[in-house]
Amino acid sequence: MVEGHVTISNLEKVYESGGERTKAIDDLSLEVPSGEFLSVVGPSGCGKSTLLYLIAGFLDESAGTIAVDDVPIDGPGTDRGVVFQDYALFPWRTVMGNVTYGLEQKGVDKKERQDTAQKFINMMDLDGFEDKYPKELSGGMKQRVALARTLAYDPKILLMDEPFGALDQPLREALQDHLLDIWRDLEKTVIFITHDVEEAVYLSERVMIMTRHPGTKKTAVEIDVDRTQPREDIIMSDEYTAMKNDVWQSLREETKPQAQL
Amino acid sequence: MDVGSATFDRSSLVSFAKGTVSLAVVLVLWEVVTQLGMIHYYFLPPLSDILFATDSSFVALTADGTLIYHGYLTVRRALVGLVIATVLGIAVGVLSARSKIMSWFWDPIIEVGYPVPVIALVPVFIFWFGTGDVSKIALVTLGCFWPVAINARNATREVDENLIWSARMMGTSDRELLRRVVVPAAAPGIISGLQIALPISLIITFVFEMVAGGGGLGHIEIQGVRSFDSVQVYASLIAIMILGFALDRALRILRHRLLAWT
Repeated sequence: MVEGHVTISNLEKVYESGGERTKAIDDLSLEVPSGEFLSVVGPSGCGKSTLLYLIAGFLDESAGTIAVDDVPIDGPGTDRGVVFQDYALFPWRTVMGNVTYGLEQKGVDKKERQDTAQKFINMMDLDGFEDKYPKELSGGMKQRVALARTLAYDPKILLMDEPFGALDQPLREALQDHLLDIWRDLEKTVIFITHDVEEAVYLSERVMIMTRHPGTKKTAVEIDVDRTQPREDIIMSDEYTAMKNDVWQSLREETKPQAQL
Repeated sequence: MDVGSATFDRSSLVSFAKGTVSLAVVLVLWEVVTQLGMIHYYFLPPLSDILFATDSSFVALTADGTLIYHGYLTVRRALVGLVIATVLGIAVGVLSARSKIMSWFWDPIIEVGYPVPVIALVPVFIFWFGTGDVSKIALVTLGCFWPVAINARNATREVDENLIWSARMMGTSDRELLRRVVVPAAAPGIISGLQIALPISLIITFVFEMVAGGGGLGHIEIQGVRSFDSVQVYASLIAIMILGFALDRALRILRHRLLAWT
């Protein structure tokens, strides 16, 4: 059975504080087939992080539904794994302790926990750092631990909230390629939030552009490139540049009115 | 405030020595002035008399077990009260940060209860519970409860929401969430509350012993005053200072161990 298929219908999210109602997301419908890598870009404040946290089940929708494999979600679940921009590692747990946490919650026995965790620690090139605490790690390493932690308990869907936003360019590119390898090997559905058009287009099979406040789906651009090529070849190609321009143009239309203010 | 460091190295020993020169000068001055009879013996006996040179000196009262036994009584009362206050304070503090009903109930009580000078309640507690251990431990518990509860509550409120979300997405139930995530994440603040409560526990015990007797270092000190034995007064004072210092150090070491990850 193919799993990790997300269906969002007529989603609406309204924040209420002190009698004031702010509509963050308005009538958003979206289909993410199993195994797709989808990026979401939009002007800041368009509610793209809100959308991600709604899918994660951290926030409650005001109207509409979100379903995973045709079952409406009810709060957070282990079928979805979030990777946060600020890592959100447990600082009192070592690298190993962080990566085994989800497996402990699943009731996996100790030996198997360690083995599985070690596999993902090695996959993220973190071997040798198992007993370090998060405070002893650099930002890039923390994000790799966060990714290993999420992958270890095997969610079908990865929800990533600008995970590489705080990292410098070379590190970001290395992690992007790493993520692509993982996505291919482990066959996850990925919903990736970013404000970086380059990153969105490079990583994704499809890029959804959101409108300015309140956020909804404006359009989606299919990114059809042969990802077996090296990065240089992909980003130099004319098709790639054309697709990137499409996304950029579309996003620019949304940011323009704001710039005139 | 750096409460985390419990290690010494060579250079910190040197600076410690430099920093204590002024203290040594004061102590020498004390000995000289009192030996010369410039201050009445009853007010301030020579340091040497207090430390070792008389029958009721610190060394003499330690050797015959007096200070050890009464120190034990004081520390036991203080620590039993502190432990009860810690258990109750963490429970109330953490829960009132996480639950609307608990916060509705406890916030006003903490608001009013915290500023009450607990020492003023000594007579009331004598009314209610008498002058024995129960009464002393109950007042220590009450006095230590507030700082522990307030610090636990504030630390819990400040726990990063993303940590809680991380735990929930990995299948942590609401019940487990407190034990596995909220309390560990709030631990630095909770332990700060304990560090504030520790001296309070000793102060309350000491004062209660002075007022109500029943043994303990406070009792020994006030007994010294009543029998015009000023050496005994200062000897018991030294004992409580040493105990206070040792307990504070012990708690710092515990903090350092428990919070190696900070």
